[in-house]
Amino acid sequence: MATLKTRMAPTRPYEIVYIFDSALEDATIAEKLEKFHALLELAEPAEIEHWGRRQLAYKIGRHEAGYYVIANAKASPATLPEFERALKLDDSVVRYMVSLIERVLGAPKLSDEELAARAAAADDDDDEDDE
Amino acid sequence: MRRPKKPCPITEAGIRFVDYKDDRLLARFISDYGKILPSRLSGVDARHQRQLAKAVKKARFLALLPYVKGQQG
Repeated sequence: MATLKTRMAPTRPYEIVYIFDSALEDATIAEKLEKFHALLELAEPAEIEHWGRRQLAYKIGRHEAGYYVIANAKASPATLPEFERALKLDDSVVRYMVSLIERVLGAPKLSDEELAARAAAADDDDDEDDE
Repeated sequence: MRRPKKPCPITEAGIRFVDYKDDRLLARFISDYGKILPSRLSGVDARHQRQLAKAVKKARFLALLPYVKGQQG
């Protein structure tokens, strides 16, 4: 692994998607996440979103389902190789992906007013279809 | 005669950058076999089509979308 030239403690925002073995218990998964995140030496705790168990679109080895976890964390790039090594060695991690967050993904969250306006517009469209 | 241009469905949904985790959105832009639809069929504008292609590929890796649909195994 090539060593990256990094200045002192520059952190970058990463999004990490984990797919754990769906047979694991929730407590075990939480424990493992904590262990992995400790390797990233985070200044502030990662934002973790549990999607939970879901069917995989195709079989990965013997797995047909996985427990999905999305984590957002600001980490130093220098900590990543060790972190990824731990993930690769752990058999309970079916798959993982670390990606740099360069842009905010998806649609911006709408305010209640905008949502109401959109819902009203959708209703108007339905009326037109009926005629 | 040129057909009037369809509006881009992704722009219309208010999406700035396509999210690879939004498999329900991505599923609208893949064929019955799981291939990425060309923008001339889906009406997606060029910028979003580029984002879409990358998002679909990430989603496939994460088993959110199939690489090939409609076959067993």
